[in-house]
Amino acid sequence: MISSRARLFLALGALALAAVPASGDRFWMQFLGKAMIGGIFAMSLDLLVGFAGLVSLAHAAFFGLGAYLLAGLSNRYQLAQMALTLPICMAGAAAGALIIGWLSLRAAGVYFIMVTLAFTQMLYYFLNDAPWFGGSDGLYVALRPLSNPIAAYYAIWIALVAVFAFLLLLLRSPFGRVLIGIRGNEQRMRSLGFPTRQYLLAAFVLAGSLAGLAGYLDANLYGFVNPALFGWRESGLVLMTVLLGGKGTLHGPALGALLLALLQQQGERLTEHWTAIIGAVVIAVVLFLPRGVAGLLEARRA
Amino acid sequence: MPEALLETRDLSRRFGALAAVDGVSLSFAEGRVHAVIGPNGAGKSTFLNLLSGELRATSGRVFFRGQELTRATPDRISRLGIARSYQSANVFAELSCGECVWLASHSRARTLVFPSARVAERARRALATCGLAERAGVRARQLSYGEQRQLEIGMILATDPQIFLLDEPLAGLGHDEAQRIVALLQELARRHTIVLVEHDMDAVFSIADTITVLVDGRVLESGAPDFIRQSERVREAYLGSDAP
Repeated sequence: MISSRARLFLALGALALAAVPASGDRFWMQFLGKAMIGGIFAMSLDLLVGFAGLVSLAHAAFFGLGAYLLAGLSNRYQLAQMALTLPICMAGAAAGALIIGWLSLRAAGVYFIMVTLAFTQMLYYFLNDAPWFGGSDGLYVALRPLSNPIAAYYAIWIALVAVFAFLLLLLRSPFGRVLIGIRGNEQRMRSLGFPTRQYLLAAFVLAGSLAGLAGYLDANLYGFVNPALFGWRESGLVLMTVLLGGKGTLHGPALGALLLALLQQQGERLTEHWTAIIGAVVIAVVLFLPRGVAGLLEARRA
Repeated sequence: MPEALLETRDLSRRFGALAAVDGVSLSFAEGRVHAVIGPNGAGKSTFLNLLSGELRATSGRVFFRGQELTRATPDRISRLGIARSYQSANVFAELSCGECVWLASHSRARTLVFPSARVAERARRALATCGLAERAGVRARQLSYGEQRQLEIGMILATDPQIFLLDEPLAGLGHDEAQRIVALLQELARRHTIVLVEHDMDAVFSIADTITVLVDGRVLESGAPDFIRQSERVREAYLGSDAP
């Protein structure tokens, strides 16, 4: 699935990321921490887009759920221990994904996309307007599970590597092969006896809980959550990350997240219209690198 | 008469004003090859789609071993042991032949996480039976059309079915390729029940134990091949052109 060249590149990249805190540079730790969270988030969506063939615009909702749940547990119950809050936040995101996925998967194709978008928007407006969750101002996370920046950074790094390894193994397992079969020809899979909707729902819930993990780490890193996390803009951005990196490759979306973070950071220094730069890069990648950034690593083989 | 494995009672499917299948009551006996023939538009594929659950009947009922499955979903019908093939090869173009039969075989497994040796063995045997053992590593879309039809049958064989619903397995094949499929069907017929929808009359009359002629969604005639061959009504329905 991954060429040896790409494997070497990824291993070196992961080691380089692990070495960053040694520099003691707070800015880069925050910046790369954010980029790695984006990588986890994008890989979790790649499970749906790249492997199960489901384009979901609800993915930001599960990121937001993970983040808001941490803020809620911390503020209301003074809960911060990671061993307690992390499973609760991931389970909460998974429960949200179970409900939204169960309802959305009754529709297919473009209707599925629209239903997932509608759910995200509902949650966004609910959090934006309901007084209990800080409204449009959002909430501070009073007690962070990992307030030490170095600990927070390494938690993100470990999560990134673990999620990558987990998804890689999952996709090689019979479950992953069934998902790939469904992406190829869902109707045929059903007539072979697979309850395809249940498989897709399982993938949706799994991806949702991993998005919740990314949201949890984000809330811990910044100590702050707001309703924009739920916006369709975030769902669109993570989808763009997956396409930019190369859907169906797993490592591609992680690289895409890093690239997007760098583009944003450099772009902001150059011009206030930095989104135009990102737009141009996305168009260029879609036109000239149909397999995304990950395709570059494989290019020499072809 | 052997026991009826699959049975329809007054089965109908309408598309607006058109009755594609109109009050069909048929019984498919265990261990037999039962062909369903008829001119284009007679409702043969619609009938198969009703049996496999891909279409819902407007009225009437379907029974499998006495159990009603009129409203069952395609995946449940498949798990009960009713397998179907499609008119145009319906394989996983991007997967290898080995992976295609493995997926089919895995549909009967309980395991989600760990690969099962039994699943792999059943897949290997199905691939060997359909004559593609040497092609296990080749992507399905790189196969010839005839080989894709073989793979199609290999896939449903790997689901270990009790009854095969075959939708024109010979359509679009040259003489040699068709011969290979006919030999494969004869091999299957020794141990399995087959419902065969097919236009190739030579093949139908050489394989089938029972033949039903559908015209305009209705059963025109049903009986042994010799009976059908001599039926005046069947001759008329085919306008004498390619009369059996």
